[in-house]
Amino acid sequence: MSLLRRIRPSKNGGYEVHLASEERSLLSVLPAHLVSLLDNVGETPQDELPDALQRLLPPAYTTDPDAERAYVSMTREDLVEHHRESLETMSVTAKATWLNDEQLAAWLAALNDLRLALGSMLGVTEEETEPPMGDAEQAEWIAYQYLGALQSELVDILERVLPDAVPGADDLVPDDYWGDPVGGLRWDGTPQPRDP
Amino acid sequence: MGSTAVPAEVVRPQTHEVAVPELPWLVIVWNDPINLMTYVTYVFQKLFGYSREKAHKLMLDVHHKGRAVVSSGPKERAELDVARLHQHGLWATMEHGR
Repeated sequence: MSLLRRIRPSKNGGYEVHLASEERSLLSVLPAHLVSLLDNVGETPQDELPDALQRLLPPAYTTDPDAERAYVSMTREDLVEHHRESLETMSVTAKATWLNDEQLAAWLAALNDLRLALGSMLGVTEEETEPPMGDAEQAEWIAYQYLGALQSELVDILERVLPDAVPGADDLVPDDYWGDPVGGLRWDGTPQPRDP
Repeated sequence: MGSTAVPAEVVRPQTHEVAVPELPWLVIVWNDPINLMTYVTYVFQKLFGYSREKAHKLMLDVHHKGRAVVSSGPKERAELDVARLHQHGLWATMEHGR
């Protein structure tokens, strides 16, 4: 099983990376595109950002514009920088055959950022079917699927090295605070799709 | 904000400081079609120190019910949690508890 994994813990610490050159090219080029989009966001409100960025810079307050402006003013720069650092780390280490812990964490964040950007551009929905799209979006759809598979591998690896749960943490918030029914509303007020 | 007020001036009550002081702020994660379920569980464990079981349960609440309260506390704490969730790409908002 472990032989099938493309990224795996190394005997001497860190992680071995076994990826084809085509995969490495993708992981080098895609982050650079997203970084260039992040360059000029400033404190633009979330709903005025390009589709690709809306999920990367979400709002904290959806019903209080003043509080949201203050939140953006306080956090936006750090958040953009966080995304940029992860994306640039993956881009420059895309050809590496070994990654340290921090670099692998950056890969996980960068893969998620890319999926959020691509998924938003493609209009991915909860249903597992392919979104309606033209030929030009086929490549993006394939990239989206590929990044998801790779990210899934990384989560499998990284969840095994999480620190132990904090004693008592589980009791700080109830499992089901509002007692919501299955199938509520999404953040934007559209119906929550039911699980098949 | 000086604490040594001039005696002649009337100090207006700071209404926002006395209103509903005990209600916690709630940090809510909303369902989205992009984030992987395993990734969301991982992030809850990493950020909040939850057990795998607790994190998995909260993730399923998000997935099946559309949203889940994943932490609560004073406003500053909630804003920090929201910012950390945003850094991890999750759809998190906050609101005053009820």
